[in-house]
Amino acid sequence: MTTMATPTQSAPDAPAPHYNPKSESVGTKRAKSTLFHVVALVLTAVVLYPGLWMIASAFKPNSEIGGANTSLWSNNFSLDNFVTAMEGIGGVSTLQFFTNSLVLAIGAVVGTVLSASVSAYAFARISFPGRGVFFGMMIATLLLPFHVVIIPQYIVFQQLGLVDTYIPLLIGKFLAADAFFVFLMVQFMRGLPAELDEAARIDGAGHARIFGSIMLPLMKPALISTSIFSFIWSWNDFLGPLLYLNTPDKYPLPLALRLFVDQTQSSDYGAMIAMSVLALLPVLIFFLIFQRYIVEGVSTQGLKG
Amino acid sequence: MINRRHFLTTVAVGTASAAALAACGTGSNNAGKTGSAENPVTINYTWWGNDDRAERTRKAIALFESKNPDIKVNGNFTDFAGYWQKRATEAAGGGLPDVMQWDLSYLRDYGQRNQLLDLATVNINTDAFEKSLLPSGQIKGKTYGIPTSTNAFAVYYDPAKLASLGIAEPTGKWTYDEYNAFLTEVGTKSNGALFGGTDYTGVWWMFNIWLRQNNIEAFTEDGKLGFTRDDLKKWWNLTAELRGTPAIASEERVTQLAPKSAFGSNVTATEVTWDNFMAGYLADSGAKELKLVPVPSDDPDNLGLFLKPSMLMVASAKTQYKDAAARFIDFMVNDPEVGQIFKTSRGVPASKTQRDGTTFEGTDKLVVDYEKSIEQYLKDAPEPPIVGFGTLEASFKRISSDLNYGKLDINGATDAWFKEAEDLIKQNA
Repeated sequence: MTTMATPTQSAPDAPAPHYNPKSESVGTKRAKSTLFHVVALVLTAVVLYPGLWMIASAFKPNSEIGGANTSLWSNNFSLDNFVTAMEGIGGVSTLQFFTNSLVLAIGAVVGTVLSASVSAYAFARISFPGRGVFFGMMIATLLLPFHVVIIPQYIVFQQLGLVDTYIPLLIGKFLAADAFFVFLMVQFMRGLPAELDEAARIDGAGHARIFGSIMLPLMKPALISTSIFSFIWSWNDFLGPLLYLNTPDKYPLPLALRLFVDQTQSSDYGAMIAMSVLALLPVLIFFLIFQRYIVEGVSTQGLKG
Repeated sequence: MINRRHFLTTVAVGTASAAALAACGTGSNNAGKTGSAENPVTINYTWWGNDDRAERTRKAIALFESKNPDIKVNGNFTDFAGYWQKRATEAAGGGLPDVMQWDLSYLRDYGQRNQLLDLATVNINTDAFEKSLLPSGQIKGKTYGIPTSTNAFAVYYDPAKLASLGIAEPTGKWTYDEYNAFLTEVGTKSNGALFGGTDYTGVWWMFNIWLRQNNIEAFTEDGKLGFTRDDLKKWWNLTAELRGTPAIASEERVTQLAPKSAFGSNVTATEVTWDNFMAGYLADSGAKELKLVPVPSDDPDNLGLFLKPSMLMVASAKTQYKDAAARFIDFMVNDPEVGQIFKTSRGVPASKTQRDGTTFEGTDKLVVDYEKSIEQYLKDAPEPPIVGFGTLEASFKRISSDLNYGKLDINGATDAWFKEAEDLIKQNA
């Protein structure tokens, strides 16, 4: 007993064998802290510079963007780029592009959250025949590069007459075709105690009830992570809309952005950058609102692993 | 970038042509389906370009629809890079739009794979076109593309910059030595603040023009290289003494400025390129005025210049509305009112009817006047480039910049390019 107690009692009084922050003078401590913050600030500046450059350039005249102009701020500050960007392209208003992007992104979020969570429940909680095989196949689709399936997929939608609608872009989300999200949720669900569903089952709940009343509320962090990722991915998707949409009225923002830059004619970098800044806002807002959940989601998953 | 895109095109079109072969033998009606004012047919038209072109095209389509109430035109557009990804996928899926704006470098690829309609079989009036221009839309006797407009090679210069250095404006009657001396003068007089130009020997089309000046063809009729290693060495040797001096902008500098050009960034006083880049250069550089003169030549009677279709109109081989497609193409290339809408934003109108019906002012006039001034020197337009030309052009540029970086000497550069070119030609043979 005494031998056990002695070290804990004597430890604070014992002289520090190696390093003890308390022994340093306040000056050294302050210097170290300053150095750390200076280095951190420099690194932050480097990392954030492209974003800052973009915002600064949005307020410059086109001829002062890029090329030999290295200064960040321009004396010819103007909002002209935003005016051009908001004028729309070829008779389609910029608001329309925003609406289209929003419809696609929200559709993607709703579809993915609904379908991925249901599929994940089946994989994690129901032991149906061939579960291992199907799960393996689903994981295998993660390894298949998107570019391999572009043409076969296009032919299918073309034959079905679904080109130039949002269906090719959204149907996969409603059918849990994004294996990444299904996998994420399966892993999350596996970490939830099985006793909870057993208790619910004893109380007479079926799969629907267990899923709706027990699993969904517990899965909030995973659902939020999924929503954020699928929103951002859909918002930034260029190739899908490029291939499947023909009418400019239906274009989302990433397609519209490119229309200001044409290497074969003149390029309005200013308007493109201004529109990029505007296009960034919804994603930024979406992220800021949900970011505290994303951290929670990731860390909870880590604990449960 | 061009490499990858080209690869995708080849793969996609390959798949598609197999499908097209399988579909062979279905009967075809020559006029296709026709419509009436009460029950119009709808054709799809697609183009690449910026917001400005979208606006102009919208006006042209509205005009066409008002003159042709039996046809509706559904227009859509993307940027240049996305445009070819989309076409490759559509060709594979069998869904190319009825009428398309087209680029010369993709004509042979899609034409040879039977994706495009032979426009000689439909009714399009080509009487107002220069006879030397039309072959550039033809492959093996079939007309796949009708040029909307032309561009020609030129030396751009900024008169204000030359005036501030006290250098006389060039007349355009110059040899390569004189042009080199001019570049050096700009570099020295400005004390390196302004370069004379960029290394013009890195520009494929300028090399092509130099070959024409020496009566050598770039490609033989069967798609092989028409020039020798010695010719290419001679060409790259032209600026050997200028590399690394203030006469030409260093490769590092040019790379830093991308995506803007050195000329558009006010770093050089001259630039050798197509005359329809005028509007872009003016916008990028903010210069008040830019001027155009002919390219240098050691033979004053042979400038090697030609008009190239800056873009063409093509129709899908599978269109169900051949007649409507033909009428729309005819309208877009010949109608003077369309000329008034586009001015020179597509290039100088190729059809004389359209050109004469358009009033050109300011920048547009400069470009039109330039093409008029070189009329007597013009030779036949080149045939549609060989399949894979985009890759060759890009590797020419890349190897030439290695030359400027000093990574390769002229012998090494020549060997490197020839090896790539010969491999590519063999692959596509």
